[in-house]
Amino acid sequence: MEGVMRRSSIALLVGALAIVASLAVGPVASAKPQRAQGGTVVFIHDQEPPNLQGPWVGNNLYATALVTNNIWYGCQIYNDKADFVPRLCVDKPKIVKEKPLTIQFEYKKEAVWSDGKPVTWKDFWATWQVFINPKNNVVSRTGWEDIKSVSRVGTNDKKVQVVFKTQFADWESVVSTGPYAEHIIRGKDMNQMFLNDIPVSSGPWKFQSWQKGVQITVVKNNAFKAYKPMQLDRVVFRYILDTNARFQALKAGEGQVMEPQPQLQIADFLKDKNFVVDQKVGYAWEHIDIQFGPKGHPALKQPYIRQALITGINRPQVAAALYKDIAPGLPALQSHMFKPFEKDYRPNWKVYPFSQKKVIEILKSHGCTGGPDKPTPNNQNIFSCPGVGKLSFRFVTTAGNQLRALTFEIIQRQLKSVGIELVPRFGTGGFVFGTVLPSGDWDLFMFTWVGGPTSNITAKDFYGCGGDQNYMNYCNRKLTNILNKVAVTLSADERAKLLNEAEAKYMVKDVPSIPMYARPIYVIHSVKVKGPVVNPTQEGSPWNVSDWVA
Amino acid sequence: MLTYIVRRLLYSSVVLVAASFLVFLFVAKGAGDPLAPLRITPRIDKAGLERIAEEKHLNDSIFVRYGYWVKDAVTNQFGTTLLTNKPILPDLWRVMKNTLQLVVVSELLAVLIAIAIGVYSALRQYSFFDYAATTFSFLGLATPVFWLGLMLQVLVVQIYLWTGHRIFPIANLNSADPGHGISFVLDRAHHLVMPVMVLMVASIAQYSRFMRASMLEVVNSDYVRTARAKGLLERQVTMRHAFRNALIPLVTVVALNFGGLLGGAIVTETVFSLDGMGLYFINALNTADPYPVMAWLMVTASTIIVFNLIADILYGILDPRVRYD
Repeated sequence: MEGVMRRSSIALLVGALAIVASLAVGPVASAKPQRAQGGTVVFIHDQEPPNLQGPWVGNNLYATALVTNNIWYGCQIYNDKADFVPRLCVDKPKIVKEKPLTIQFEYKKEAVWSDGKPVTWKDFWATWQVFINPKNNVVSRTGWEDIKSVSRVGTNDKKVQVVFKTQFADWESVVSTGPYAEHIIRGKDMNQMFLNDIPVSSGPWKFQSWQKGVQITVVKNNAFKAYKPMQLDRVVFRYILDTNARFQALKAGEGQVMEPQPQLQIADFLKDKNFVVDQKVGYAWEHIDIQFGPKGHPALKQPYIRQALITGINRPQVAAALYKDIAPGLPALQSHMFKPFEKDYRPNWKVYPFSQKKVIEILKSHGCTGGPDKPTPNNQNIFSCPGVGKLSFRFVTTAGNQLRALTFEIIQRQLKSVGIELVPRFGTGGFVFGTVLPSGDWDLFMFTWVGGPTSNITAKDFYGCGGDQNYMNYCNRKLTNILNKVAVTLSADERAKLLNEAEAKYMVKDVPSIPMYARPIYVIHSVKVKGPVVNPTQEGSPWNVSDWVA
Repeated sequence: MLTYIVRRLLYSSVVLVAASFLVFLFVAKGAGDPLAPLRITPRIDKAGLERIAEEKHLNDSIFVRYGYWVKDAVTNQFGTTLLTNKPILPDLWRVMKNTLQLVVVSELLAVLIAIAIGVYSALRQYSFFDYAATTFSFLGLATPVFWLGLMLQVLVVQIYLWTGHRIFPIANLNSADPGHGISFVLDRAHHLVMPVMVLMVASIAQYSRFMRASMLEVVNSDYVRTARAKGLLERQVTMRHAFRNALIPLVTVVALNFGGLLGGAIVTETVFSLDGMGLYFINALNTADPYPVMAWLMVTASTIIVFNLIADILYGILDPRVRYD
């Protein structure tokens, strides 16, 4: 009897292990490893793309761009200084006529798809069709719907002419877009394309395999001759969602490159001689919006109160406190239009240096009462102002974000000591951005805009009267007129002049939004890998993958 | 018995429907707007946003939305994710297989080790081993899974930094080059060592306590005394009369625990970034997409119900005194 029992127990154990083993065998078909000559770089990332569709609703993710940017390669791409540099194109695209706006550019004769077919004007035409087709769930049609025609120049299939219906200032971003391969997408439902793979590539790497939940592997595109070919054999994007595990995996050599969010663990790597940390200020900027609409606090409609608010917040101290270990010297942002590393950056908001004494003076001079006579730590007396009541504001931001929680604590303390109260209203991203922000039922709202080198062209969407994303309900007609003009001004220098003028003259006076700081971005890589540098745009650090050596 | 099973399944279906509605309500209302990230995307196509809201019935009442979900779940294998239109079932099946690997191995090993510890502790009550096992059990039950996972990772990294050898991988299900066939299985096993260890600690602690208590009860019972009085060898008394009967309570505990774990060892899978049911659930919740969350819930709840039923049935089979009428 005992023998029978033992035998059946062993059989049970072996059976269970066999089942487990059979479950594990499953994904092998997609793994397809291949031996390396030029080496492999494992890029650890925090998010796996849901699919490979690119700028699609629900997938307008940096994680996807990291993989696809070097597959759908552009006429030109942004380098690490955020300047456009030609890649598939012979030269930079040129304006050949201002009215109607007509652009010409030429793909290099070496620009070919990985299946050997040439990249031509037809590919760009097909891409335009994709973006304007209302059935396609693209995330934005801006610029594409302003195009009147796309054609070739003469009989040269490589030379493209794009004619716009309107003066669209950000034309360069549109024509630089990496085109889809016309021969691949012809007659296909684009909402169902590139969900799991991308069959061709015009860039330095091409898609090889995707083991869902684990990794995506891209390999060198041997047909790529339009620019320097990739020296590596392949790059493996490994998805490790847990923050701590990501850093530990990098330390343990499970990956060689990582672009972490600004997190405290970076400080360890700054001291580690086995790793190189490259850091720059990016295009995402933290700011506090002020509500002007009927559901906002009536006090916030008074310019002097908004000016008191910005004067009472020590913005440089906030930036320093948050980033002292991982980005020492990070400056407070003094412009909503440009970032500190851009040549057109003007510190327009520097006119509001931190002064608690001045806040009290401003409020008292407008007849506000009940507050402290001088800045007082642990103050409990809150000002009330004529006709607008007590200066107690609802402060909304996302819950569970340490940096935002700390920012709130600092500015809450600073403002309380001068008689202004902030009441926290934290919530999940889905709730605060989906429900609270569009409702206008808030007083102050802290969040990040993720921009790019040309985001300021459409600043009218944020700050113009009735702007699509002007959730503040802020409206200054004169400012709006200038911002509308910016959107159709072709000269970058002229645009910068207008933007800086508009900001200094109107926005700084109106204080619709308080700029806090531009978020630093990072790339950490093992010293064994040479080449990765931070790119502040959505190109990501693999923008120069051709220079990477492992 | 059959009547009992049918009745249990009927009750369970009602519970399942009620749970599905409540969870749908909580996720759809509590997690906020799934379109929220798009609302703060510059240059977003607003007409497109509205179209998606319309297509996915986001502007309808919660009852209508729930109705559409039920239809999708029944006729379209749980349908697709809200924004990316990704079919849910293939993903769910994939993560379920991964979780099964983790849970089956860890539970199997935990049960074997716990039985050995429990039986030996009971037979050597108040010995040094018994005290040590008791201490371990309390420590195991009191140690948070996330902390243990983190500590193991830190330890492995330190060993790597000292020796240059990575004894276990830190995260994920396999390496960048997992190989084929048996090497893939071995690579997967290597990656599961740490998560399995973490999961096993709490299970061993719990099961060994059960086994010890159950064994103690049995060895002091009349029929065991009778067996001894009949002159049976101590080994026969222990294995044939005491051990088999002592296993009965453990079987039900393991079955219930196993059913729960199939929903994903959420913390373990998160700490080790394992593409399993738990991580799937957390990701779905983060995107405020009720559809994958609902699919996860249905699978998990059904598993728990089935394993509860199995536990009850097993109890009836193993213990002839129990009758389901």
